[in-house]
Amino acid sequence: MTTFRAALAVESLKARRSVVLRAAGVLIVLGVCGLATTVILAARSGNPELIAKLGPRAATADWSALLSTGVQITSAGALLGFGVGISWMFGREFADGTVAALFGLPVRRSELAMAKLVVYAAWAAGVAALLVLGLLVTGLANGLGAPDADAVAGLARQLALGLLTALIAVPAGWAASWGRGLLPGIAVAVGLLVVAQISVLGGFGSWLPIVAPALWAMQPATGSTMALLTVPLVPLTFGAATVSIWMRLQLDR
Amino acid sequence: MPADALRLQSVTRRYDGGAGLAEVDLTVAHGEIHALVGLNGAGKSTLMKLVVGMLRPQSGTVEVLGKDVARAGPQTWARVGTLIEYPLAYGDLDGRTNLSLAARLRSVPAAGIPTMVDRILDELDFRRYAEIRSGRMSLGNKQRLGLAAALQHHPDLIVLDEPTNALDPSGIIALREALVRRADEGAGVLVSSHHLDEVARIAHRISVLADGRLVGTLDPAGIDIERSFFALVHAASRSAA
Repeated sequence: MTTFRAALAVESLKARRSVVLRAAGVLIVLGVCGLATTVILAARSGNPELIAKLGPRAATADWSALLSTGVQITSAGALLGFGVGISWMFGREFADGTVAALFGLPVRRSELAMAKLVVYAAWAAGVAALLVLGLLVTGLANGLGAPDADAVAGLARQLALGLLTALIAVPAGWAASWGRGLLPGIAVAVGLLVVAQISVLGGFGSWLPIVAPALWAMQPATGSTMALLTVPLVPLTFGAATVSIWMRLQLDR
Repeated sequence: MPADALRLQSVTRRYDGGAGLAEVDLTVAHGEIHALVGLNGAGKSTLMKLVVGMLRPQSGTVEVLGKDVARAGPQTWARVGTLIEYPLAYGDLDGRTNLSLAARLRSVPAAGIPTMVDRILDELDFRRYAEIRSGRMSLGNKQRLGLAAALQHHPDLIVLDEPTNALDPSGIIALREALVRRADEGAGVLVSSHHLDEVARIAHRISVLADGRLVGTLDPAGIDIERSFFALVHAASRSAA
């Protein structure tokens, strides 16, 4: 336990000083809020062609429009951002060569991998919370007024989507460990994004854990809440596989 | 305390293609500096990787401070200091923070870390880089940072792979003095080099590795050990052919 505490302290310090994680978090929050603002402004422009393109949900230019836009962008953009973040946390050790210094220590590599997963969860939860705060500020700054009960429920859904999206990005960390670098992790993050988006747009695969959060958040009335129960299987499976890779690691290639 | 800080017995670890180590026996006693010299590809790094578990032997045993390397626990590893392949140098962190982080990973109690870091910064004449991010350091200074991380907690076993790589003359002198001090305190020191550099010359014992086998020893006080080294290596190549 003492060595795990040391692993947690070390990984937490590395994350707090990391320019990459800070930049990824800022890009997720500003990207989603910035695009949501653009949609609200476009809906208010009075341009019928533009309003038709935005669709009926965004055209109302109210809290519902802002939050439904936020959810759509989060399901894609945050998945990529979280995937890049966790890929970097694991892949950097190989890319920078520091993995060689993680052998022959009192702190086991499996503990370091677990600490990385805990720190990733904390970082992603912080980003998800800041994203909700950012959307709240965006709504108020755009004159949407105080959020009503539906808007508060929408903000809660946004928080849940952010957290669930962080969970389904964990395979990117496994890929970065298995492939021993950043690119395999980022490639898997992009792959998850493509599969999830095609499934959402095509309206199929609602039972898939990587699709369920986005479908539920976009269509809370019709989306399956039961399907969300499959989401924890993704971080549990790939988190365990990642820890196993680090535990058995040999630098033989 | 076991007689040897490090003991390898009949250790074999072959890579696909044949390179690696074969049937190597090697010891490092407490208080001894043991230099391992050999040309590139002789198997020095493979041997060092086996000592810290980066590779597992296909046969034979590796004992670190009296414990089999596969079963050595946190208390054993807390008494070891290594620099193999690449230093613990995270580019976002400055020299001091990297050293503090290395100390945490070696189970040094948090309260003692600042003083310990200050001491190694002075010992290796590295204080002016304490607040510089390692991402901005030269290769030589990153190497010095890695050496500081390996030595700062005064380990009982020190394993350094090519420690003079990229070091300037003042760095080499500082390292040499630090190793002599650690050995005088009772630490066993294993250093590797591809040539008979300044650190190999302070060793109590020099072993020569060629084509994955220990092929002989050199007398550190010998007059022309360079010639003796090449004679051993060439003899090993001829017998292998």
